[in-house]
Amino acid sequence: MRYTIETHDLTKRFAIQKGFADFLRHPFRKDEMSAVYDVNLNVKSGELFGILGPNGAGKTTLIKMLCTLILPSVGTAHVNGYDISKNGGNVRRSIGFVTSDERSFYWRLTGRHNLRFFAALHNYYSDDAEERIDELLSLVGMEDRGDDKFLSYSAGMKQRMAIARGLLNDPAVLFMDEPTRTLDPGAAQNVRTFVKEHITGDGGKTVFLSTHHLPEAEELCDRIAIINEGRIVVVGTLDELKAGLDKPDPGLGDVFMHYTGKEFERGTAPNHGYQGRKGMMGGGRHGGMRF
Amino acid sequence: MIYKKALSFIIRDLVLATSYKFEFFLRFFFMLFSILTFYFVSQLVGGAGTEYLEPYGGDYFSFVLIGIAFSGYLMTALRSFSESIRGEQMMGTLEAMLVTPTDTSAIVTLSSLWSFIFMSFRVLMYLVIGILLGVDMSNANVPAALLILILTIICFGSIGIISASFIMVLKRGDPINMFFMSTSELFGGVLFPISVLPEWLRTISYLLPITYSLSGMRHALLQGYSLSALAPEITALMVFSVVLVPLGLLSFKYAVKRAKMDGSLVQY
Repeated sequence: MRYTIETHDLTKRFAIQKGFADFLRHPFRKDEMSAVYDVNLNVKSGELFGILGPNGAGKTTLIKMLCTLILPSVGTAHVNGYDISKNGGNVRRSIGFVTSDERSFYWRLTGRHNLRFFAALHNYYSDDAEERIDELLSLVGMEDRGDDKFLSYSAGMKQRMAIARGLLNDPAVLFMDEPTRTLDPGAAQNVRTFVKEHITGDGGKTVFLSTHHLPEAEELCDRIAIINEGRIVVVGTLDELKAGLDKPDPGLGDVFMHYTGKEFERGTAPNHGYQGRKGMMGGGRHGGMRF
Repeated sequence: MIYKKALSFIIRDLVLATSYKFEFFLRFFFMLFSILTFYFVSQLVGGAGTEYLEPYGGDYFSFVLIGIAFSGYLMTALRSFSESIRGEQMMGTLEAMLVTPTDTSAIVTLSSLWSFIFMSFRVLMYLVIGILLGVDMSNANVPAALLILILTIICFGSIGIISASFIMVLKRGDPINMFFMSTSELFGGVLFPISVLPEWLRTISYLLPITYSLSGMRHALLQGYSLSALAPEITALMVFSVVLVPLGLLSFKYAVKRAKMDGSLVQY
Protein backbone atom coordinates (compact mmCIF):
# COMPACT_ATOMS: atom_id res chain seq x y z
CA MET A 1 0.00 0.00 0.00
CA ARG A 2 1.32 3.44 -0.88
CA TYR A 3 0.92 5.93 1.95
CA THR A 4 0.38 9.66 1.54
CA ILE A 5 3.26 10.35 3.90
CA GLU A 6 6.06 7.84 4.45
CA THR A 7 9.26 8.38 6.36
CA HIS A 8 12.19 5.99 6.70
CA ASP A 9 14.75 6.55 9.45
CA LEU A 10 14.27 10.28 9.03
CA THR A 11 16.88 12.07 11.10
CA LYS A 12 17.86 15.71 11.50
CA ARG A 13 21.02 16.77 13.24
CA PHE A 14 21.87 20.41 13.80
CA ALA A 15 25.33 21.80 14.41
CA ILE A 16 25.73 23.25 17.89
CA GLN A 17 26.85 26.88 17.79
CA LYS A 18 30.28 27.19 19.36
CA GLY A 19 31.46 29.89 21.69
CA PHE A 20 34.40 32.01 20.52
CA ALA A 21 36.88 30.35 22.88
CA ASP A 22 35.70 26.89 21.88
CA PHE A 23 36.03 27.83 18.21
CA LEU A 24 39.64 28.90 18.76
CA ARG A 25 40.46 25.74 20.71
CA HIS A 26 38.82 23.29 18.26
CA PRO A 27 38.22 25.11 14.97
CA PHE A 28 37.49 21.95 12.99
CA ARG A 29 35.46 20.02 15.55
CA LYS A 30 31.80 19.81 14.63
CA ASP A 31 29.42 19.21 17.53
CA GLU A 32 25.90 18.16 16.64
CA MET A 33 22.62 17.45 18.36
CA SER A 34 19.78 15.35 16.99
CA ALA A 35 16.47 17.20 16.78
CA VAL A 36 14.67 14.31 15.10
CA TYR A 37 15.97 10.77 15.23
CA ASP A 38 15.10 7.68 13.15
CA VAL A 39 11.49 8.60 12.50
CA ASN A 40 9.49 5.94 10.67
CA LEU A 41 5.87 6.89 9.99
CA ASN A 42 3.17 5.98 7.50
CA VAL A 43 0.14 8.22 7.11
CA LYS A 44 -2.84 7.05 5.10
CA SER A 45 -4.83 9.17 2.68
CA GLY A 46 -7.66 11.09 4.38
CA GLU A 47 -6.23 10.44 7.82
CA LEU A 48 -5.98 13.10 10.51
CA PHE A 49 -2.63 12.23 11.94
CA GLY A 50 -1.38 13.91 15.08
CA ILE A 51 2.15 14.33 16.30
CA LEU A 52 2.08 14.98 20.01
CA GLY A 53 4.97 16.06 22.15
CA PRO A 54 6.15 18.70 24.57
CA ASN A 55 7.91 21.88 23.43
CA GLY A 56 11.28 21.12 21.86
CA ALA A 57 10.40 17.49 21.16
CA GLY A 58 11.08 17.85 17.41
CA LYS A 59 7.53 18.33 16.06
CA THR A 60 8.25 21.51 14.12
CA THR A 61 11.55 20.18 12.74
CA LEU A 62 9.72 17.07 11.50
CA ILE A 63 6.98 19.14 9.84
CA LYS A 64 9.53 21.50 8.28
CA MET A 65 11.40 18.55 6.81
CA LEU A 66 8.19 17.16 5.32
CA CYS A 67 7.40 20.62 3.89
CA THR A 68 10.93 20.77 2.37
CA LEU A 69 11.98 23.81 4.45
CA ILE A 70 14.73 21.75 6.09
CA LEU A 71 16.71 18.94 4.46
CA PRO A 72 17.13 15.72 6.45
CA SER A 73 20.60 14.65 7.59
CA VAL A 74 19.81 10.96 7.16
CA GLY A 75 16.83 8.95 5.95
CA THR A 76 14.15 9.58 3.38
CA ALA A 77 10.56 10.72 3.26
CA HIS A 78 7.90 10.80 0.59
CA VAL A 79 4.87 13.08 0.56
CA ASN A 80 2.22 12.27 -2.05
CA GLY A 81 4.79 9.97 -3.63
CA TYR A 82 7.45 12.68 -4.00
CA ASP A 83 10.84 12.49 -2.33
CA ILE A 84 11.25 15.52 -0.05
CA SER A 85 14.97 15.81 -0.84
CA LYS A 86 14.80 15.28 -4.60
CA ASN A 87 11.36 16.58 -5.65
CA GLY A 88 10.86 19.56 -3.37
CA GLY A 89 8.88 21.52 -5.98
CA ASN A 90 6.37 18.69 -6.50
CA VAL A 91 6.02 18.20 -2.75
CA ARG A 92 5.23 21.89 -2.25
CA ARG A 93 2.78 21.84 -5.17
CA SER A 94 0.73 19.17 -3.39
CA ILE A 95 0.75 20.43 0.19
CA GLY A 96 -0.58 23.28 2.28
CA PHE A 97 1.06 24.61 5.43
CA VAL A 98 -0.73 26.28 8.32
CA THR A 99 1.40 27.89 10.97
CA SER A 100 0.33 29.60 14.17
CA ASP A 101 2.75 32.47 13.49
CA GLU A 102 0.64 35.59 12.94
CA ARG A 103 3.68 37.36 11.52
CA SER A 104 3.64 35.17 8.43
CA PHE A 105 1.27 37.66 6.76
CA TYR A 106 1.75 41.24 5.54
CA TRP A 107 -0.07 43.18 8.22
CA ARG A 108 -0.46 46.37 6.19
CA LEU A 109 -2.17 44.56 3.33
CA THR A 110 -5.77 43.44 3.43
CA GLY A 111 -6.60 39.81 3.98
CA ARG A 112 -7.65 39.52 0.34
CA HIS A 113 -4.41 41.17 -0.86
CA ASN A 114 -2.46 38.67 1.20
CA LEU A 115 -4.33 35.71 -0.23
CA ARG A 116 -3.98 37.12 -3.76
CA PHE A 117 -0.21 37.36 -3.31
CA PHE A 118 0.17 33.86 -1.91
CA ALA A 119 -2.18 32.54 -4.63
CA ALA A 120 0.25 33.91 -7.22
CA LEU A 121 3.06 32.00 -5.52
CA HIS A 122 0.89 28.90 -6.02
CA ASN A 123 0.49 29.88 -9.70
CA TYR A 124 -3.12 31.02 -9.37
CA TYR A 125 -3.79 34.35 -11.07
CA SER A 126 -6.61 36.73 -12.01
CA ASP A 127 -10.10 35.23 -12.17
CA ASP A 128 -9.01 31.76 -11.03
CA ALA A 129 -7.38 33.28 -7.97
CA GLU A 130 -10.31 35.59 -7.17
CA GLU A 131 -12.78 32.73 -7.43
CA ARG A 132 -10.69 30.57 -5.12
CA ILE A 133 -10.15 33.43 -2.65
CA ASP A 134 -13.91 34.18 -2.49
CA GLU A 135 -14.59 30.51 -1.92
CA LEU A 136 -12.02 30.26 0.88
CA LEU A 137 -13.01 33.51 2.57
CA SER A 138 -16.54 32.19 2.65
CA LEU A 139 -15.40 28.80 3.91
CA VAL A 140 -13.54 30.30 6.85
CA GLY A 141 -16.29 32.84 7.52
CA MET A 142 -14.22 35.90 6.55
CA GLU A 143 -16.16 37.06 3.50
CA ASP A 144 -17.19 40.29 5.24
CA ARG A 145 -13.70 41.14 6.50
CA GLY A 146 -11.55 40.14 3.53
CA ASP A 147 -11.01 43.73 2.43
CA ASP A 148 -9.91 44.94 5.86
CA LYS A 149 -6.25 45.28 6.70
CA PHE A 150 -4.70 42.20 8.27
CA LEU A 151 -3.52 44.25 11.25
CA SER A 152 -7.15 44.89 12.20
CA TYR A 153 -7.93 41.19 12.64
CA SER A 154 -8.26 39.38 15.96
CA ALA A 155 -6.00 36.40 16.67
CA GLY A 156 -8.81 34.05 15.68
CA MET A 157 -9.37 35.83 12.37
CA LYS A 158 -5.64 35.71 11.63
CA GLN A 159 -5.68 31.97 12.17
CA ARG A 160 -8.68 31.64 9.88
CA MET A 161 -6.71 33.48 7.20
CA ALA A 162 -3.78 31.11 7.81
CA ILE A 163 -6.09 28.16 7.19
CA ALA A 164 -7.49 29.83 4.06
CA ARG A 165 -3.95 30.38 2.80
CA GLY A 166 -3.04 26.76 3.50
CA LEU A 167 -5.96 25.65 1.34
CA LEU A 168 -5.28 28.02 -1.60
CA ASN A 169 -3.85 25.31 -3.87
CA ASP A 170 -6.47 22.75 -2.78
CA PRO A 171 -3.71 20.53 -1.38
CA ALA A 172 -4.00 16.79 -0.87
CA VAL A 173 -2.10 17.11 2.41
CA LEU A 174 -2.35 19.91 4.94
CA PHE A 175 0.40 20.34 7.50
CA MET A 176 -0.73 22.22 10.59
CA ASP A 177 1.91 23.28 13.09
CA GLU A 178 0.17 23.90 16.43
CA PRO A 179 -2.73 25.73 14.75
CA THR A 180 -4.49 26.64 18.01
CA ARG A 181 -1.46 27.74 20.03
CA THR A 182 -2.27 31.46 20.06
CA LEU A 183 -6.06 31.23 20.25
CA ASP A 184 -8.53 31.77 23.04
CA PRO A 185 -10.66 28.79 24.15
CA GLY A 186 -13.63 29.45 21.88
CA ALA A 187 -11.52 30.19 18.84
CA ALA A 188 -9.34 27.12 19.43
CA GLN A 189 -12.41 24.93 19.74
CA ASN A 190 -13.79 26.24 16.47
CA VAL A 191 -10.55 25.57 14.63
CA ARG A 192 -10.72 21.98 15.85
CA THR A 193 -14.32 21.67 14.72
CA PHE A 194 -13.49 23.17 11.35
CA VAL A 195 -10.53 20.86 10.79
CA LYS A 196 -12.57 17.80 11.68
CA GLU A 197 -15.69 18.72 9.71
CA HIS A 198 -14.43 20.62 6.70
CA ILE A 199 -10.85 19.67 6.04
CA THR A 200 -10.76 15.95 6.69
CA GLY A 201 -14.54 15.44 6.67
CA ASP A 202 -16.01 17.18 3.60
CA GLY A 203 -12.60 18.05 2.16
CA GLY A 204 -11.24 14.49 2.37
CA LYS A 205 -7.74 15.83 2.90
CA THR A 206 -4.92 14.21 4.79
CA VAL A 207 -3.95 16.34 7.79
CA PHE A 208 -0.65 16.10 9.60
CA LEU A 209 -1.09 18.13 12.76
CA SER A 210 1.38 18.87 15.51
CA THR A 211 0.23 19.77 18.97
CA HIS A 212 1.45 19.80 22.53
CA HIS A 213 -2.11 19.93 23.78
CA LEU A 214 -3.30 16.51 24.95
CA PRO A 215 -7.10 16.98 24.70
CA GLU A 216 -6.70 18.44 21.22
CA ALA A 217 -4.90 15.32 20.05
CA GLU A 218 -7.51 13.13 21.75
CA GLU A 219 -10.40 14.99 20.14
CA LEU A 220 -9.08 15.36 16.64
CA CYS A 221 -6.69 12.65 15.62
CA ASP A 222 -7.43 9.31 13.99
CA ARG A 223 -3.95 8.20 14.99
CA ILE A 224 -1.37 9.79 17.20
CA ALA A 225 2.42 9.56 17.25
CA ILE A 226 4.04 10.58 20.51
CA ILE A 227 7.41 12.21 20.06
CA ASN A 228 9.90 12.83 22.82
CA GLU A 229 13.43 14.19 22.49
CA GLY A 230 13.29 13.69 18.73
CA ARG A 231 12.20 10.04 18.82
CA ILE A 232 8.78 8.60 18.04
CA VAL A 233 8.01 6.48 21.09
CA VAL A 234 4.64 5.05 20.05
CA VAL A 235 2.08 5.35 17.24
CA GLY A 236 -1.54 4.25 17.21
CA THR A 237 -5.19 5.09 17.60
CA LEU A 238 -6.22 6.46 20.95
CA ASP A 239 -7.63 3.06 21.96
CA GLU A 240 -4.46 1.27 20.87
CA LEU A 241 -2.31 3.69 22.84
CA LYS A 242 -4.41 3.23 25.95
CA ALA A 243 -4.70 -0.55 25.60
CA GLY A 244 -1.47 -1.47 27.32
CA LEU A 245 -2.01 0.70 30.39
CA ASP A 246 -2.96 -0.69 33.80
CA LYS A 247 -5.14 2.21 34.77
CA PRO A 248 -8.89 2.81 34.58
CA ASP A 249 -9.83 5.35 31.87
CA PRO A 250 -6.31 6.56 31.11
CA GLY A 251 -5.65 9.78 29.19
CA LEU A 252 -2.91 10.67 26.74
CA GLY A 253 -0.90 12.11 29.62
CA ASP A 254 -0.82 8.63 31.13
CA VAL A 255 0.17 7.18 27.78
CA PHE A 256 3.01 9.69 27.56
CA MET A 257 4.12 8.82 31.08
CA HIS A 258 3.94 5.09 30.31
CA TYR A 259 6.13 5.29 27.20
CA THR A 260 8.60 8.00 28.21
CA GLY A 261 8.70 7.72 31.98
CA LYS A 262 8.10 11.46 32.16
CA GLU A 263 5.15 13.61 32.99
CA PHE A 264 3.80 15.59 30.05
CA GLU A 265 4.44 19.29 30.62
CA ARG A 266 1.65 21.30 32.16
CA GLY A 267 0.59 24.88 31.92
CA THR A 268 -0.49 25.06 28.30
CA ALA A 269 -4.18 24.50 28.81
CA PRO A 270 -5.67 27.92 29.65
CA ASN A 271 -5.69 29.39 26.18
CA HIS A 272 -6.81 26.13 24.62
CA GLY A 273 -9.83 25.79 26.84
CA TYR A 274 -10.90 22.36 25.83
CA GLN A 275 -14.65 22.11 25.88
CA GLY A 276 -15.06 18.48 24.91
CA ARG A 277 -17.07 17.20 22.02
CA LYS A 278 -20.37 18.37 23.46
CA GLY A 279 -18.98 21.87 23.74
CA MET A 280 -18.21 22.24 20.04
CA MET A 281 -19.71 25.26 18.40
CA GLY A 282 -21.45 24.96 15.08
CA GLY A 283 -20.04 26.26 11.82
CA GLY A 284 -20.71 29.75 10.51
CA ARG A 285 -22.41 30.86 7.35
CA HIS A 286 -21.81 28.55 4.36
CA GLY A 287 -20.75 25.87 6.81
CA GLY A 288 -17.61 27.87 7.63
CA MET A 289 -16.20 28.64 11.04
CA ARG A 290 -16.87 31.45 13.47
CA PHE A 291 -14.73 32.65 16.33
CA MET B 1 3.11 33.27 -16.21
CA ILE B 2 6.27 34.71 -14.71
CA TYR B 3 5.16 38.25 -15.61
CA LYS B 4 1.91 37.74 -13.68
CA LYS B 5 3.91 36.53 -10.71
CA ALA B 6 6.25 39.50 -11.08
CA LEU B 7 3.24 41.80 -11.15
CA SER B 8 1.98 40.29 -7.87
CA PHE B 9 5.30 41.14 -6.19
CA ILE B 10 5.28 44.68 -7.61
CA ILE B 11 1.69 45.28 -6.47
CA ARG B 12 2.49 43.91 -3.01
CA ASP B 13 5.51 46.18 -2.64
CA LEU B 14 3.76 49.21 -4.10
CA VAL B 15 0.84 48.82 -1.67
CA LEU B 16 3.25 48.30 1.24
CA ALA B 17 5.41 51.30 0.22
CA THR B 18 2.45 53.64 -0.23
CA SER B 19 0.96 52.51 3.08
CA TYR B 20 3.84 54.48 4.66
CA LYS B 21 2.78 57.65 2.82
CA PHE B 22 5.01 60.16 4.58
CA GLU B 23 8.17 58.12 4.04
CA PHE B 24 7.20 57.53 0.40
CA PHE B 25 7.05 61.26 -0.36
CA LEU B 26 10.10 62.12 1.76
CA ARG B 27 12.25 59.76 -0.31
CA PHE B 28 11.35 61.70 -3.46
CA PHE B 29 11.85 65.06 -1.80
CA PHE B 30 15.33 64.38 -0.40
CA MET B 31 16.70 62.89 -3.61
CA LEU B 32 16.78 66.47 -4.91
CA PHE B 33 19.33 67.46 -2.30
CA SER B 34 22.23 65.34 -3.58
CA ILE B 35 21.73 66.63 -7.12
CA LEU B 36 21.74 70.24 -5.96
CA THR B 37 24.87 69.62 -3.86
CA PHE B 38 26.80 68.44 -6.90
CA TYR B 39 25.33 71.21 -9.04
CA PHE B 40 26.83 73.84 -6.71
CA VAL B 41 30.12 71.91 -6.42
CA SER B 42 30.34 72.01 -10.22
CA GLN B 43 29.70 75.77 -10.16
CA LEU B 44 32.65 76.12 -7.79
CA VAL B 45 34.94 73.79 -9.76
CA GLY B 46 34.06 75.51 -13.04
CA GLY B 47 36.51 74.61 -15.77
CA ALA B 48 39.04 72.90 -13.50
CA GLY B 49 39.88 69.34 -14.50
CA THR B 50 38.69 69.87 -18.05
CA GLU B 51 41.45 67.70 -19.47
CA TYR B 52 40.16 64.74 -17.44
CA LEU B 53 36.54 65.45 -18.32
CA GLU B 54 37.14 66.04 -22.03
CA PRO B 55 36.31 62.42 -23.06
CA TYR B 56 32.88 62.89 -21.44
CA GLY B 57 32.03 66.32 -22.85
CA GLY B 58 34.04 68.49 -20.44
CA ASP B 59 31.29 69.43 -17.97
CA TYR B 60 31.63 68.22 -14.36
CA PHE B 61 27.93 68.45 -13.45
CA SER B 62 26.90 66.28 -16.42
CA PHE B 63 29.64 63.81 -15.49
CA VAL B 64 28.68 63.51 -11.84
CA LEU B 65 24.93 63.46 -12.56
CA ILE B 66 25.27 60.28 -14.65
CA GLY B 67 27.67 58.88 -12.02
CA ILE B 68 25.36 59.27 -9.02
CA ALA B 69 22.24 58.34 -10.99
CA PHE B 70 23.45 55.06 -12.45
CA SER B 71 25.72 53.95 -9.60
CA GLY B 72 22.43 53.77 -7.71
CA TYR B 73 21.67 50.58 -9.64
CA LEU B 74 24.73 48.94 -8.13
CA MET B 75 23.75 50.05 -4.64
CA THR B 76 20.20 48.81 -5.26
CA ALA B 77 21.47 45.44 -6.49
CA LEU B 78 23.83 45.06 -3.55
CA ARG B 79 21.12 45.89 -1.07
CA SER B 80 17.81 44.75 -2.50
CA PHE B 81 18.41 41.00 -2.85
CA SER B 82 19.93 40.55 0.57
CA GLU B 83 17.53 43.03 2.18
CA SER B 84 14.53 41.31 0.64
CA ILE B 85 15.62 38.04 2.27
CA ARG B 86 16.36 39.72 5.56
CA GLY B 87 13.15 41.76 5.47
CA GLU B 88 10.99 38.70 4.86
CA GLN B 89 12.89 36.80 7.57
CA MET B 90 12.31 39.58 10.08
CA MET B 91 8.66 40.09 9.13
CA GLY B 92 8.13 36.34 9.42
CA THR B 93 6.74 35.91 5.90
CA LEU B 94 9.66 34.04 4.31
CA GLU B 95 8.63 30.57 5.49
CA ALA B 96 5.11 30.97 4.12
CA MET B 97 6.60 31.95 0.76
CA LEU B 98 9.14 29.14 0.66
CA VAL B 99 6.53 26.46 1.23
CA THR B 100 4.90 27.32 -2.12
CA PRO B 101 5.96 25.83 -5.47
CA THR B 102 7.68 29.09 -6.46
CA ASP B 103 11.42 28.59 -6.55
CA THR B 104 13.51 30.31 -3.86
CA SER B 105 15.67 32.12 -6.41
CA ALA B 106 12.52 33.40 -8.15
CA ILE B 107 11.17 34.65 -4.81
CA VAL B 108 14.37 36.56 -4.07
CA THR B 109 14.67 37.97 -7.58
CA LEU B 110 11.03 39.05 -7.80
CA SER B 111 11.17 40.54 -4.30
CA SER B 112 13.83 42.94 -5.60
CA LEU B 113 11.86 44.12 -8.63
CA TRP B 114 10.20 46.99 -6.79
CA SER B 115 13.58 48.36 -5.69
CA PHE B 116 14.79 48.40 -9.30
CA ILE B 117 11.59 50.05 -10.50
CA PHE B 118 11.87 52.69 -7.78
CA MET B 119 15.55 53.19 -8.70
CA SER B 120 14.66 53.60 -12.38
CA PHE B 121 12.09 56.24 -11.48
CA ARG B 122 14.72 57.95 -9.38
CA VAL B 123 17.25 57.92 -12.26
CA LEU B 124 14.60 59.39 -14.55
CA MET B 125 13.98 62.17 -12.01
CA TYR B 126 17.74 62.81 -11.78
CA LEU B 127 18.01 63.12 -15.55
CA VAL B 128 14.97 65.41 -15.83
CA ILE B 129 16.29 67.67 -13.06
CA GLY B 130 19.75 67.59 -14.68
CA ILE B 131 18.30 68.71 -18.00
CA LEU B 132 16.42 71.51 -16.22
CA LEU B 133 19.74 72.59 -14.67
CA GLY B 134 21.43 72.75 -18.06
CA VAL B 135 22.79 69.25 -18.81
CA ASP B 136 22.80 68.77 -22.57
CA MET B 137 21.45 65.39 -23.68
CA SER B 138 20.20 66.49 -27.07
CA ASN B 139 22.58 64.05 -28.83
CA ALA B 140 21.75 61.10 -26.56
CA ASN B 141 21.73 57.65 -28.18
CA VAL B 142 18.82 56.26 -26.19
CA PRO B 143 18.78 52.68 -27.62
CA ALA B 144 22.50 52.33 -26.87
CA ALA B 145 21.95 53.71 -23.35
CA LEU B 146 19.12 51.19 -22.83
CA LEU B 147 21.37 48.32 -23.96
CA ILE B 148 24.04 49.43 -21.50
CA LEU B 149 21.38 49.78 -18.81
CA ILE B 150 20.16 46.21 -19.39
CA LEU B 151 23.71 44.83 -19.25
CA THR B 152 24.38 46.94 -16.16
CA ILE B 153 21.33 45.54 -14.36
CA ILE B 154 22.31 41.97 -15.34
CA CYS B 155 25.87 42.46 -14.02
CA PHE B 156 24.90 44.31 -10.86
CA GLY B 157 21.95 41.98 -10.23
CA SER B 158 24.26 38.96 -10.40
CA ILE B 159 26.63 40.60 -7.92
CA GLY B 160 23.60 41.27 -5.70
CA ILE B 161 22.56 37.61 -5.88
CA ILE B 162 26.09 36.48 -4.90
CA SER B 163 25.88 38.95 -2.00
CA ALA B 164 22.47 37.51 -1.02
CA SER B 165 23.98 34.01 -1.02
CA PHE B 166 26.43 35.09 1.65
CA ILE B 167 23.59 36.64 3.67
CA MET B 168 21.61 33.43 3.42
CA VAL B 169 24.45 31.43 4.95
CA LEU B 170 26.28 33.95 7.16
CA LYS B 171 23.24 36.16 8.02
CA ARG B 172 25.58 39.16 8.48
CA GLY B 173 29.03 40.21 7.31
CA ASP B 174 28.74 39.75 3.56
CA PRO B 175 32.18 40.38 1.96
CA ILE B 176 30.82 40.97 -1.56
CA ASN B 177 28.63 43.84 -0.40
CA MET B 178 31.46 45.35 1.63
CA PHE B 179 33.94 45.05 -1.26
CA PHE B 180 31.75 46.63 -3.92
CA MET B 181 30.29 49.27 -1.61
CA SER B 182 33.74 50.44 -0.56
CA THR B 183 35.53 50.23 -3.91
CA SER B 184 32.95 51.34 -6.46
CA GLU B 185 32.78 55.00 -5.51
CA LEU B 186 36.57 55.34 -5.35
CA PHE B 187 37.60 53.24 -8.33
CA GLY B 188 34.44 53.08 -10.46
CA GLY B 189 34.43 56.63 -11.80
CA VAL B 190 31.30 57.74 -9.96
CA LEU B 191 32.41 61.21 -8.81
CA PHE B 192 35.58 61.70 -10.90
CA PRO B 193 37.06 60.14 -14.03
CA ILE B 194 39.33 57.17 -13.37
CA SER B 195 42.05 58.95 -15.38
CA VAL B 196 42.62 61.05 -12.23
CA LEU B 197 43.86 57.92 -10.43
CA PRO B 198 47.52 56.86 -10.59
CA GLU B 199 47.99 54.24 -13.26
CA TRP B 200 48.64 51.36 -10.84
CA LEU B 201 45.36 52.09 -9.01
CA ARG B 202 43.47 52.27 -12.29
CA THR B 203 44.01 48.51 -12.66
CA ILE B 204 41.41 48.01 -9.92
CA SER B 205 38.97 50.20 -11.87
CA TYR B 206 39.28 47.94 -14.91
CA LEU B 207 38.19 44.96 -12.81
CA LEU B 208 34.91 46.58 -11.78
CA PRO B 209 31.83 46.41 -14.04
CA ILE B 210 30.66 49.82 -12.79
CA THR B 211 33.62 51.45 -14.59
CA TYR B 212 32.38 50.24 -17.99
CA SER B 213 28.76 50.83 -17.13
CA LEU B 214 29.24 54.51 -16.20
CA SER B 215 31.70 55.19 -19.00
CA GLY B 216 29.32 53.68 -21.58
CA MET B 217 26.31 55.47 -20.14
CA ARG B 218 28.07 58.85 -20.24
CA HIS B 219 29.24 58.35 -23.81
CA ALA B 220 25.75 57.24 -24.89
CA LEU B 221 23.76 59.94 -23.10
CA LEU B 222 26.07 62.96 -23.23
CA GLN B 223 27.88 62.43 -26.50
CA GLY B 224 25.55 60.13 -28.44
CA TYR B 225 28.20 57.49 -29.23
CA SER B 226 27.11 54.82 -31.69
CA LEU B 227 26.96 51.13 -30.78
CA SER B 228 30.24 50.49 -32.56
CA ALA B 229 31.93 53.32 -30.65
CA LEU B 230 30.58 51.80 -27.44
CA ALA B 231 31.86 48.32 -28.31
CA PRO B 232 34.63 48.25 -25.65
CA GLU B 233 32.17 49.00 -22.81
CA ILE B 234 29.45 46.71 -24.21
CA THR B 235 31.93 43.84 -24.70
CA ALA B 236 33.31 44.25 -21.18
CA LEU B 237 29.81 44.24 -19.67
CA MET B 238 28.89 41.16 -21.70
CA VAL B 239 31.97 39.32 -20.47
CA PHE B 240 31.11 40.26 -16.88
CA SER B 241 27.53 39.03 -17.46
CA VAL B 242 28.68 35.69 -18.87
CA VAL B 243 30.83 35.13 -15.79
CA LEU B 244 28.59 36.65 -13.11
CA VAL B 245 25.15 35.25 -14.06
CA PRO B 246 26.04 31.53 -13.70
CA LEU B 247 28.20 32.34 -10.68
CA GLY B 248 25.26 34.13 -9.04
CA LEU B 249 22.80 31.32 -9.78
CA LEU B 250 25.18 28.58 -8.62
CA SER B 251 26.17 30.39 -5.44
CA PHE B 252 22.52 31.04 -4.57
CA LYS B 253 21.54 27.43 -5.24
CA TYR B 254 24.37 26.29 -2.99
CA ALA B 255 23.42 28.83 -0.30
CA VAL B 256 19.77 27.69 -0.24
CA LYS B 257 20.84 24.04 0.04
CA ARG B 258 23.28 24.90 2.80
CA ALA B 259 20.68 26.92 4.70
CA LYS B 260 18.17 24.07 4.36
CA MET B 261 20.77 21.65 5.70
CA ASP B 262 21.58 23.98 8.59
CA GLY B 263 17.87 24.62 9.18
CA SER B 264 18.66 28.33 9.12
CA LEU B 265 16.58 29.38 6.11
CA VAL B 266 14.35 31.67 8.15
CA GLN B 267 16.89 32.70 10.79
CA TYR B 268 18.45 36.15 10.75
